[in-house]
Amino acid sequence: MSRTHGNRVFRWGLLTIPPALFCGGLLLFTQLVFLQASFHADEGLGVMTSRFTWANYLEVWHDPDYLESLGLTLRLAGVVVGATLIMAWPAAYLLSRSSPRVAMVVVAAIIAASFVTLPIKTLGMVILFSADGPLMRLLQDLHLISARYRFVGSFFAVAVGYAHLAISFMVTMLFSVFQSIPRRLEEAAAIHGATRLRVLWRVVLPLSLPGTVSATLVLFNLLTGAFVSAALLGGGKVLTVSLLIQRSLILFNEYGMAATLAVVLLLIVLLVNIASVLLVARLTPASQVIA
Amino acid sequence: MKIGAIAGVRARQNLGWVWVSLVIGFIYAPILVVIGASVDPGHYVMNRAYLQFPPQGFTLYWYFHVAPALWRSVLVSVELASAVTVGAVLLGVPAALGLLRGQFPGRNAVAALFRTPLQIPFIVTGVAFLQTFNTVAAASGIALQASFTGLCIAHLFVATPYVVGAAGSALARLSPRLDEAALSLGASRWRTFRRVTLPLITPAVFGGAMFAFLVSFTDVTIALFLTPEDGVTFPVWVYGSIQNDLETSMPAVSSMVFLASGLMIVLLQRLIGMETVLRGGGAKG
Repeated sequence: MSRTHGNRVFRWGLLTIPPALFCGGLLLFTQLVFLQASFHADEGLGVMTSRFTWANYLEVWHDPDYLESLGLTLRLAGVVVGATLIMAWPAAYLLSRSSPRVAMVVVAAIIAASFVTLPIKTLGMVILFSADGPLMRLLQDLHLISARYRFVGSFFAVAVGYAHLAISFMVTMLFSVFQSIPRRLEEAAAIHGATRLRVLWRVVLPLSLPGTVSATLVLFNLLTGAFVSAALLGGGKVLTVSLLIQRSLILFNEYGMAATLAVVLLLIVLLVNIASVLLVARLTPASQVIA
Repeated sequence: MKIGAIAGVRARQNLGWVWVSLVIGFIYAPILVVIGASVDPGHYVMNRAYLQFPPQGFTLYWYFHVAPALWRSVLVSVELASAVTVGAVLLGVPAALGLLRGQFPGRNAVAALFRTPLQIPFIVTGVAFLQTFNTVAAASGIALQASFTGLCIAHLFVATPYVVGAAGSALARLSPRLDEAALSLGASRWRTFRRVTLPLITPAVFGGAMFAFLVSFTDVTIALFLTPEDGVTFPVWVYGSIQNDLETSMPAVSSMVFLASGLMIVLLQRLIGMETVLRGGGAKG
């Protein structure tokens, strides 16, 4: 019997090998190729020197424009993730505690909306916020904005675009987090005299923290690499790292520089992720956060 | 809930629903604007039509006069996303089975490997694949850059984790006793898998597959670097159209795509239930 057992264990494990080789191979190979590219200077027209050099990294380090762009990217991602979290958290919680029928309809509608690719939503935003559109004219009449205000080209516009990328994911992810928290725990706390606010603060919040953190991180990573809103709503004025990477590739054919910026972005994102996981691990068992 | 009888709670709940409506409104505002613009007859400036919102009339003209290149891009995207979904399921389900049922050293590391693609910003993935494909082409002459296959591979890389996560969490919830029962009643191992395990994880796999489709179908950031010139994907086409020369039939096509996605989700919900879909693709990062 023990032989059959060992046999079975062995066989299941084998199934993982081909997919792991495929994904692991791609991961290793692509990352190595572009890591290597970042250590070669560009000579123009997509040609790189064969000499190993730190020149690209030094250029990023010494050029205030690159550093500013990195700061802007992180600020944008941070602000938008925070704002989306504030919008989505109560909504997702309420939905998860309402009747399953209503919740499913609403969540299905949100998922359907995420099938609409971001450029289309961006087009909608451009039309909605166009200077002679009804919304802007209303805001002008109410003296909330000046007649010279232009939506496209502002930090706010890019942030709204980013928020559209993030919010549906945030609501659906948090919804599934709240669904995995048994309602009975809240009822028990309420029966023992906890106020509604106290139940939220002492029961729901701690239990949902690992899931919330992991959702926040997923979206933070997504937003640091987001590109469409910055390109279409930034009007060339909101230069995120993703935009610089795309420009150095498509416009200037600077593969080395593009790779360097990508490496720097990746490293920062990884650091933020590790720091957040460690921070939350101090509050909750780490296994829950990582799993 | 019994405490729901208290009036203050009722008021707070209403406030909550206002909040939910605001969130939905935020999500749907640009989509509704595009749908609205799609039925606008358009006003002509220098022989070019421009669409307006709110629409100045009602016409379905644009729905029947779609630019052929635009249609082609929709077909490319549907083909691409379908291929990626099938590939992601073929890779992801065995991977999850091995991870959850196998016992081998470094299991956690392999599990982490399957989550890594989601931790890498998409722009980095796009650049990395572009340079890799260029390197491959220089070394072996295999032209993956700007090809359907190349784009497919890159999308598989980011889509597979969703299926692994979904199938994995379904398998983790599955009681091993069900398998034991089938085996002890004389079913073969294959039959047990076919008739017990597989049907039980199928809904979750569908959920993961939906997210895989979604990622591939809506991606601009990766596809922008890898899309073939003669087979541009729908999102990249739309992106280019907004940046350069706005195509007037685009809002109409976008509305149709949105409608089709909505129908697909309703169908999926009928078939497997939304709860499973969410549990699958949700919090697994």
